[in-house]
Amino acid sequence: MSDSPTVLCAQPDADERAETADVLADAGLSVEEVGSIDTLDTALDRSIDCVVTAFDFADGDGFDVVDAVREVNPDCVVILFTEHAPSDLPRGGPEQVVEYVPRTVPESRERLADVAAMAAAEVTQAAYPVPETEAERLAAVQQYDVDRLAAIDTFDRLTALMTSHFDIDVAFVGLMDEHEERFLACEGANWRTLSREDTICTHTILSDETMVVEDTHEDPRFANVDALKRLDIRSYAGVRLTDEAGNAIGAVCCTDGEPRRYTQAELDDLRRFADEVEEQLLLRRRLQEEP
Amino acid sequence: MSQRQDDRYRFDGLPLNPVDLGTSLLVTGPVLSGAREMGLRLLCSPDIDGGTVLVSTDSDATTMLEDFERYGGVLDRDRVRVIDCAQESSGLQDDSVSTVSTPADLTGIGIEYSGHYESTYANGYTRVRTGIITLTPLLVYSDDVRAVYRFLNTITGRIGTADGLGVCVLDPDAHEEQVVESVAQFFDGRVDVRADAGDLDLRVKGLRDQPTEWTPVSAGT
Repeated sequence: MSDSPTVLCAQPDADERAETADVLADAGLSVEEVGSIDTLDTALDRSIDCVVTAFDFADGDGFDVVDAVREVNPDCVVILFTEHAPSDLPRGGPEQVVEYVPRTVPESRERLADVAAMAAAEVTQAAYPVPETEAERLAAVQQYDVDRLAAIDTFDRLTALMTSHFDIDVAFVGLMDEHEERFLACEGANWRTLSREDTICTHTILSDETMVVEDTHEDPRFANVDALKRLDIRSYAGVRLTDEAGNAIGAVCCTDGEPRRYTQAELDDLRRFADEVEEQLLLRRRLQEEP
Repeated sequence: MSQRQDDRYRFDGLPLNPVDLGTSLLVTGPVLSGAREMGLRLLCSPDIDGGTVLVSTDSDATTMLEDFERYGGVLDRDRVRVIDCAQESSGLQDDSVSTVSTPADLTGIGIEYSGHYESTYANGYTRVRTGIITLTPLLVYSDDVRAVYRFLNTITGRIGTADGLGVCVLDPDAHEEQVVESVAQFFDGRVDVRADAGDLDLRVKGLRDQPTEWTPVSAGT
């Protein structure tokens, strides 16, 4: 398997597509190709780092491509590569923010390749703030093969204790992967994963301070997040989990269906629960590493 | 970053050291008494290959260009470009200016921005300074702040990978503290500005070798 970033090139004309693909490949990118909106679904998965798309297709337009990409890989960079001037393009929705390289600039394919190569390697179009040390953080998360650590029973017990101690609906331990939060233990609900842009924890991992949202409806960061309403998360308190190098790997959290305040004593207790989880993860990982 | 010291972005007349290529700065403070002026002064390029792309959300393109010139910018239409989304018609007819009907149209602003960036680049001005003055209407007009997060990742991503400089102005008093803190996460550093009896002070957070205590700023040109 290639280590090169992968770009999906969507252009309806086969000759033009092949020409664009050649230039992208020359820039060191691994290139996949599609010629219609209809065939996008089979090509799209989370291994795609960047999508380069024309605007006009027989079965739709570039914004249909953006929608299809966001459905599968919401953080993926999409670059419109078109001869249309910006003012000639229809208005897209706010979630359709894209990169754009006009075909009218000199040597536009070479310029596209520059922009795509850099974007595929370094840029995200995620709808959330990404930690400055994201690459190191993700490498740290991958060190924790939780199934082999046999820690789930321990975390189940801890989260059960948390729900009764704080008198809340749900307590969970989550690891923050590249695109979603993965719940290792979840007392009070059966959540498995949640898209990262829908989580409060994606903000929790940015700071070593305890994150408290007393009422999601009153917090502009979360008031319009439908997933939180669907999961009945009206209040939240969370502490991030770090490894010994300080990389934020996830969070230990409380949620409730009603607005709620936490006393300082409760927040101190929550941090103790998080310390316990952190220590369990570290000790079990060290045991696993021993020959 | 590995670039030579003298390749970095300089800020003539301001008490700031040069910053690395690809840096994005958030300028915070009262917009009408300091932060807007500071944002525009940071965008004035002394470089022979320097260009500027301005996203104007709080005033029409004519006013923005007049203010840019007042604070030391050189109005060369090949290298200074404006996206006007202030909902006030300036009537300015020029290839270097484009209009987006509302600050809520983040997709339109992003595409116009990339188009102007590419035109500036194609004209040989490859050290592009990007200004968003101010972020407040983008946040106020967006129903869901996550759309602004995606927009900021896209813009700062281009600035970072193209070795540009980004300067975005925000009045922290216009937003809840949590929003300001989360927006600040998208930037490499923060320049706080305050006005004291007409005199400006600044301090910098998040960047090395910059004044971290309040430091007087000499009057603009």
